[in-house]
Amino acid sequence: MNASRSDLIRLVAGREIAVKLRDKGFLASTLVFIAVIVIAVVVPALIEGDTPEYTVSASSEARPVAETAAALGSDGGPSLPAADITVMDTDDPAASLTDPEVAAALAIDADGGVVITARESVPGDLEELVAAASAVVTAQAVAADAGLSADQLAALTSPTAPRVELLEPKPDQPVPPELVIIIFGFMFYFTVLTFGVAIAQSVVEEKSSRVVEILVAALPIRWLLAGKVLGNTVMALGQVLLIVGAGLLGSKAIGKGEIVTQVLGVSGWFLAFFVLGFLMLACLWAVAGSLASRVEELQSTTLYMQIAVMVPFFAAILIQDESPLRVALSYFPLTAPLLMPARIATGDAAVWEPWAAMGVVALTALALVAVGARLYSGSVLNTSARTKLGGAWAAGGRG
Amino acid sequence: MTQATLQVQELTHDFGDRRALDGVSFEVRPGRLTGFVGANGAGKTTTMRAIVGVLAPDAGRVTFRGEPMTLDVRRRIGYMPEERGLYPKMKVAEQLVYLARILGVERATAQSRATELLETLGLTDRAHDLLHTLSLGNQQRVQVAAALIHEPDLLILDEPFSGLDPIAMETMAAHLRARAEAGVPVLFSSHQLDLVERLCDDLVLIHEGQVVAAGDARALREERAGRRYRVAVEGVAGWAPALAGMTVVEAGERATLVDLDDAADPQALLAAAQAEGPVSHFSRALPSLADLFAEVVR
Repeated sequence: MNASRSDLIRLVAGREIAVKLRDKGFLASTLVFIAVIVIAVVVPALIEGDTPEYTVSASSEARPVAETAAALGSDGGPSLPAADITVMDTDDPAASLTDPEVAAALAIDADGGVVITARESVPGDLEELVAAASAVVTAQAVAADAGLSADQLAALTSPTAPRVELLEPKPDQPVPPELVIIIFGFMFYFTVLTFGVAIAQSVVEEKSSRVVEILVAALPIRWLLAGKVLGNTVMALGQVLLIVGAGLLGSKAIGKGEIVTQVLGVSGWFLAFFVLGFLMLACLWAVAGSLASRVEELQSTTLYMQIAVMVPFFAAILIQDESPLRVALSYFPLTAPLLMPARIATGDAAVWEPWAAMGVVALTALALVAVGARLYSGSVLNTSARTKLGGAWAAGGRG
Repeated sequence: MTQATLQVQELTHDFGDRRALDGVSFEVRPGRLTGFVGANGAGKTTTMRAIVGVLAPDAGRVTFRGEPMTLDVRRRIGYMPEERGLYPKMKVAEQLVYLARILGVERATAQSRATELLETLGLTDRAHDLLHTLSLGNQQRVQVAAALIHEPDLLILDEPFSGLDPIAMETMAAHLRARAEAGVPVLFSSHQLDLVERLCDDLVLIHEGQVVAAGDARALREERAGRRYRVAVEGVAGWAPALAGMTVVEAGERATLVDLDDAADPQALLAAAQAEGPVSHFSRALPSLADLFAEVVR
């Protein structure tokens, strides 16, 4: 019946996990989060997947413009929208619009300008294609008048684009890195807050129900703390993996494998920093719980912790351009867990930098775990009233 | 000194500038129920918390079987804290199994013991209810089960009887008695002096952080009995003898209480009673625990 440290810590962690897994509020919020991620990945892909189709009627004079617009719509290069345009002849543009299939009617007015007639509005991409087509047709007419050859004409209407040469090319990324940073930032903020508060709540629940006395009589306070932190870290990491996994599976399912490759490429660093960042603050969350004597007091005792989670989140989202401030914040322990992976995602960090920042965070985590464990030991058995930090520190030193 | 004795030696502890414990020493012997009695704030709970290791006293030491209270020794204690302590939102049986496993019991054993204990305590049908849905009395029974689940070698129970109805109280008393008879030293605190008097083999009286009396309950009462005698003569009510060196304290319907001076001979009282009629009762009057307590606290 001797006490084995790892067994006991595992037992405590197991209870934390079991309690969380049965918490309906937690399960519901996780499902909602996963649903939001899947929707965010899948829906835009479904929307952008279809090329719009238009039927356009054209008078005989306007027919070349309509046909050119159709040609540009099917392959007009990257600067023009794609559209599948069907051209039909008409003598009376206004009358042809009685057919609901017809989106717009083209005619040429007395000055030779193109007139687009539509019912309520002209679809933006259709208008853009007709404008481009009109310019091409006009240029062709002018060129023919000037007696230019077909090659000369082609050079005029579709000039050779300049060749771009990049000295430090950024990798071709299907998702803008800024978006990846926002998604990871939001997910971390949400998860750290959820499980940080879970640690604090679990501590204060044991305190206010006095279970802590029985537990402390049976196992060292620090093992109890370790079990709580371990259980909640496992849950936090599990939730993040679940959400990232759901997003990646969604991308894969809609055939966007390149998103998977891109996100997997940076997620390693994000996750490594996440675990370390969570551990760094976990014991302090426990302290926030143990300083309170009732659940009602958590709001005030966890205030600084909530700020400590919020600041890095906004820093990561708002400071996305590389600057000395961003570099500094990517080494500052509180903000490093988000900003260093963010700099990696935007390709601004050198290979050695994440390792250095990770060292800084790890050292800070060690220090904060020691401080947190001492404060927790010094306050968790004081069930009568809210404990002051100074008193907890002194009492923790004796224990 | 028997093997499984709990020894509390010179415990001293201050809370701020208030001295809560002042050289508290006593022992709890195996196979005996020891009652821990004292007014509110006398230091009972602080002493018990120091024994189980929840509180580190400023000075003094506690040993069990002659060993200091290391973690492995502490894990063999069944402890019931004063303000109770269980997870309100956890199911009763599950909670017991969890605590048992924390205390080093294998899962299967823990499960069978939890079932067994809940059955003895009449809580089988509540095993899968959340603790906070139970009545206070039933929660208390679960608390008892939690203290017994690992078949402890030592029981430290802070107010185990408070909040129990008379039936539950009897069940609890029988439980404690059975554990004591199995050789487990049992220390429990209580405000119910009549109960302690009826139940306990040994007593520890604490007042303002100091142990004012400790030892065999009967011996303690005899020690403080003084020279008061109770005598009853059949068929004679309100007998009030006028004898040299004796003062009648109470001449009641059924018996007469007499205080004897140091020089007076109790046999003279007996002879006088016999002269009055057949003597049905003659004994030294032992103070009740309540008397003892009142005297000590005064």
